[in-house]
Amino acid sequence: MTLDRDAVKAAIRAKVLALASALGVHDATIDDDDIIPASGLLDSAAVLELVVWYEQTYDLPLQQDEINIDNLGSINAMAGFLLARKGGSVPA
Amino acid sequence: MPHPLHVPRVNNNDDVVTVVELKVAPGAFVRRGQVVGAVETDKAVLDVEADRDGYVLALVGQLAQPAAVGSVLLWLGDTADEAVPQSTGAPASAATGSRGKPTAGARARLKALGLRAEDVPAAGERLTEADIDAWLASQGRPAADASAPSAAAAAPERTPDVAGTFEALAPDELGMLHTVLWHRDHAAAGYIELEYDPTPWEAHAKRHAERHRLLLPPLLPLMAWRLVELAVQQPRLNAAIVGERRYRYAGVNVGFTVQAGQTLYLTVVRDAQRLDAQRFVDAMGDLQRRALARKLVPAEMTGATIAFTSMARWNVSRHVPILPPHTGLIVAHSAPRGSGRAVLGATYDHRLLSGFDVVQVLQALAQPPQPLAGDPA
Repeated sequence: MTLDRDAVKAAIRAKVLALASALGVHDATIDDDDIIPASGLLDSAAVLELVVWYEQTYDLPLQQDEINIDNLGSINAMAGFLLARKGGSVPA
Repeated sequence: MPHPLHVPRVNNNDDVVTVVELKVAPGAFVRRGQVVGAVETDKAVLDVEADRDGYVLALVGQLAQPAAVGSVLLWLGDTADEAVPQSTGAPASAATGSRGKPTAGARARLKALGLRAEDVPAAGERLTEADIDAWLASQGRPAADASAPSAAAAAPERTPDVAGTFEALAPDELGMLHTVLWHRDHAAAGYIELEYDPTPWEAHAKRHAERHRLLLPPLLPLMAWRLVELAVQQPRLNAAIVGERRYRYAGVNVGFTVQAGQTLYLTVVRDAQRLDAQRFVDAMGDLQRRALARKLVPAEMTGATIAFTSMARWNVSRHVPILPPHTGLIVAHSAPRGSGRAVLGATYDHRLLSGFDVVQVLQALAQPPQPLAGDPA
């Protein structure tokens, strides 16, 4: 599967906003470098749901110690970690 | 669910009786207390009464034939079309022999369990405790559990008089049913709650998350970890009552609820006392993630010895949880949004713990652990 960084970021953003909407936070926005848990959009269970979706959507099984702010804390970080793990290049 | 009606004992000395009358046929509906047949020995004749309402599914005992006391005489069901278990359809006691009087130990067990000697087939000349354990296992009851079911548990359940259809329960629904029935039948449940200031815990969790670069807020896992520490300090918290004895668990297996769609899992971190706080947070995070992905294995959903749950996500202000089977304490966390307050509640088995014990646990749990020397401020 060819991964396009912008498409990956769009998909992650859409999932974050869908999870936020399910929690009653409508018309929300989030920037690529916003720290997702600190954004106030998602509670801890929703962040967990986001991680599970990420693993399943991109067939990317994670080790528990990989689930940290540095790897998955923002939309940019999640896209970058995915492309790095899948061997794709990450455009600047 | 098919229900066996067993061949009763007529007198103490006869382990085999003769079926002399069968008044019902498969498909017939019988009421509790209705005479369905009769058995006799050379000393007496005894009517056999249905012990519940139901349809006769199958006759196992045969007219004018001997039948072992405790074997299945006939099967009853809630509907006329239920399948009869094949493995237990044959007279159980005829195969194993139900000959002896109970040993002294078996008599004590029977009394504690609220059973009669004729309820349990003996494998040898005397009815032994091993026979009782084997019979309990065959009935789906834990061998070590000497608690007698309550009168309510033994009461027959009637099909409603309103039109409807039966549906089989899904495995998770059956699991919840068994949990609730254990709580009802085997625990003397009490509930206590304590309001507390959540600020110190939130600050502690924030420091921990920053120190370990965590993505997932660790507040609830850290509170569950604190419960582990308290259970190590107070082993009575990590125990269960069995009969008239306390069963103290060797390890602390923490149950933690995870809602995955419509399914509620009780995930279990085993031997949590061997972990440190961060390894516990990791272990719980791993279980939660795999619960959402439906990848848990049975060992990760069974064997809890103490439990923690939170419904803070749903803005619940009070939550009185059910005790998981063979536990004596489950702590429930709530934190209504915008209220600035938080609540810790606990359902406990009053046979094991007093209200004062539980208040002390909740007071201790309401405070995060003191930072260790060298920990960042």
